[in-house]
Amino acid sequence: MKKREAANSFSAGLPVAVSDIDRELKKLWQETNGTATRASLINLAVYSEESDSLARNTEIVSQITEENSCRALVIAANRAAKKNHVAAWISAHCHVGSARTKQVCSEQISFALEGPCARSLPNIVFSHLDSDLPFYLWWQGEFHDPMEEQLWSWVDRLIYDSQLWTDVNGQMRLVEEAQADARQRVVLCDLNWTRLRPWRLALAQFFDHPAEQDYLNEIEEVEIAFAPGSRNAALLLAGWLAAQLGWMPADRSDDVLSFESASCCRIQVQLREKAGAGLSGCRLLCGRTEFSVSRRKANPLLACRSRHGRRRRDWQLLPIGPDEPAELLGEELRHGGSHRVYLRALQTVRDLF
Amino acid sequence: MNESPDQLHPNPLREGLATRSAPQSCTLVIFGATGDLTHRKLIPALYNIVADGEAPPALTVVGFARRPKTDKSFRDELAKSVRKHSRQKLQPRIWKEFAQSIFYHRSEFNNAAGYKSLAARLKKIDAARGTQGNHLFYFAAAPDQFAPILKHLKAAGLNKAADGSWARVIVEKPFGSDLASARRLNRIVRSSFAEDQTYRIDHFLGKETAQNILVLRFANAIFEPIWNARYIDHVQITAAETLGVEGRAGYYENAGALRDMVQNHLLQLLCLVAMEPPTDLSADSIRDEKVKVVRALRRFDAEEIASEVVRGQYDDGTINGEPVVAYRKEPKVDPNSRTETYVALRLLLDNWRWANVPFYVRVGKRLPKSATEISVHFKRAPLVLFNKEAPTIDQNVLVIRIQPDEGISLRMQAKIPGNNLRIEPVKMDFRYGTSFGKASPEAYERLLLDAMSGDATLFARRDEVEQAWALIDTIEEAWAKQKETPPYEYPSGSWGPEAADDLLARDGRAWRRF
Repeated sequence: MKKREAANSFSAGLPVAVSDIDRELKKLWQETNGTATRASLINLAVYSEESDSLARNTEIVSQITEENSCRALVIAANRAAKKNHVAAWISAHCHVGSARTKQVCSEQISFALEGPCARSLPNIVFSHLDSDLPFYLWWQGEFHDPMEEQLWSWVDRLIYDSQLWTDVNGQMRLVEEAQADARQRVVLCDLNWTRLRPWRLALAQFFDHPAEQDYLNEIEEVEIAFAPGSRNAALLLAGWLAAQLGWMPADRSDDVLSFESASCCRIQVQLREKAGAGLSGCRLLCGRTEFSVSRRKANPLLACRSRHGRRRRDWQLLPIGPDEPAELLGEELRHGGSHRVYLRALQTVRDLF
Repeated sequence: MNESPDQLHPNPLREGLATRSAPQSCTLVIFGATGDLTHRKLIPALYNIVADGEAPPALTVVGFARRPKTDKSFRDELAKSVRKHSRQKLQPRIWKEFAQSIFYHRSEFNNAAGYKSLAARLKKIDAARGTQGNHLFYFAAAPDQFAPILKHLKAAGLNKAADGSWARVIVEKPFGSDLASARRLNRIVRSSFAEDQTYRIDHFLGKETAQNILVLRFANAIFEPIWNARYIDHVQITAAETLGVEGRAGYYENAGALRDMVQNHLLQLLCLVAMEPPTDLSADSIRDEKVKVVRALRRFDAEEIASEVVRGQYDDGTINGEPVVAYRKEPKVDPNSRTETYVALRLLLDNWRWANVPFYVRVGKRLPKSATEISVHFKRAPLVLFNKEAPTIDQNVLVIRIQPDEGISLRMQAKIPGNNLRIEPVKMDFRYGTSFGKASPEAYERLLLDAMSGDATLFARRDEVEQAWALIDTIEEAWAKQKETPPYEYPSGSWGPEAADDLLARDGRAWRRF
């Protein structure tokens, strides 16, 4: 692999003609002389329309491949360019495997697509998939109307981050239309939902014991504190509580959402914007009893507490979870699942975004 | 009240967060808290559970042992152990929080007052920390201490839990040394804890690859139709280690390889390979099927033992280029010891699926490699087409590597490139370490979480243990009568005595080359 050291860096890799990609990849592996093992469990296509995305996404893929062997297709598209231009690179991300015996390498094929040819994305992607492996598409940014119908025929999991969307409802409508056209069921993976996982775990653990579960029917008020830019996450958390506890949306103002429980009780969810990062706290108020999860300032942990009148109890500290894109994607890949709870949560607050 | 409460009252907020039951808040009391198992396995496993955010709220650990220590000195010692033995690096902020939930309780195992004060302490912990009266007792002490510990736990009322809470006990192997002692131990345990409160730990079952056997067999449509006597020629299970008896001579002299490894670990693996599909994934459905396998194992007549079971003992030899001494020259080993350090068995299952398919099982110390593997050898393809080109065609072999380098490989025949038709075996290989960059959780992590959540699937049930001992006893009894026949000696660094090779050779088979 010495001659091709560039292929291992965070640059896009070794430039190759699109028609020569397979041949060049083969050469790349022949040069390892058996010192490295190629591994792949999924096809991971990463699509972005940001100008500096190739280098950034190459770095993300490098981190991802430490735990998730894949064939990565990193695509940077500039649909606005007038002239057609396609460039391609190949590279390998090698890490010492957990068995600590050999280097385990994942392939990356990078594409820069400019002009009308950016619309040939499905063809570019399909012709370089590792056969028989699941296909995950991470779409960074917003979807276009209409979405590329052809692409959906093969996608197993569509990954996106609704935190970045200005019009969640409109974007979800596009996703649903595309999903309806897909040949197979596409699992929707929202990284904003992945971000909420530690919060959901922290809130859920209060009610594992049957003795505590009565409180779920006594919730009168919920407070969710979030940093600017994280409102979508706060809404999604509210949607999750509502969907799982059977609350129906009743009323809303800018900062207060009202729900009605199955027993016709009103539940108010207050959304409070507060300086900081992501979500900073969530309180469930049930009469004189309060359950709270808050982000610790001193170290990145979630503190889980309850208070019954004057009696306070510290439940536990939990890891706060990832927020960087590579970590979030890694978390998503680790847990997988069908995300039907997510879809339910989203549907419950869909009109409130 | 030992069903997991979340199974009876599902928490709606847990949906989609995990495919397993949630572990419940509890206090884990470790008997033998200053011992090797606690330091090397249990505390590092608990730390990893906490660091991964998998621990139940308010998880509390009380170490129960004889030596004088304070909470602080105990915590300091454990921190060192975690640094040394944990799969994840110790993060000071996480350890600091976790260490606050670890306490030391000094008492002799035989001292009733020590258990009364333990009960009082647990009550305080329950009130102060919210562990909800759930108590998990882990017996990491020597087996001869189990009886007094159980007796005193019962006397102190710690074997019972209040309504809505639970008390469980985890018993480390060995579960007895023969059927009679296993029954005695089970009776003692049962006099204090019901079967559904009892978790007999066999750490082999917590290993990722052992759990994967059921997935491989029952989640892949291609294997189950050929997983029977019609297509499978035989099965081999090998647990080899380069190590000698190390510091365990005291225990090993009385146990030997058969009791130490075959009765538990290897028979558990055999059960997973041979069992019928369970009706569901509940603990008892799976364990019911495993028990049927042990029951179907053909018992040996006294005369058959000599031909179906080979025992060996390592002699002087070389391991990794270094000279090593014979078992009988090891410290604390009787110079005339007849304890087997190697055993190979030819087992048959009397059921429809496995009629006349031998299961060759071997385990040994001071062998050339350390490896635990199961290999399923399929019947040869008929030589109708290729009889000129290949006088013999190798069998297809499916190998399940339990440790190290966990994975699965399949050997098949392929044409060697060229103008001639030359057929050679090739291997398709799947390695966990290559495909999944993240290290698997240690077996003890999974098993501790399972015990906290009330899932006994990966723990041995009383009838499994007793049935396994019934088989082992017939062999041990026959050996005891053959006083004039010592175990075969084999040089350290070899693959065991020649008699073990003969065991297969007479069936026209050979041990798989490692």
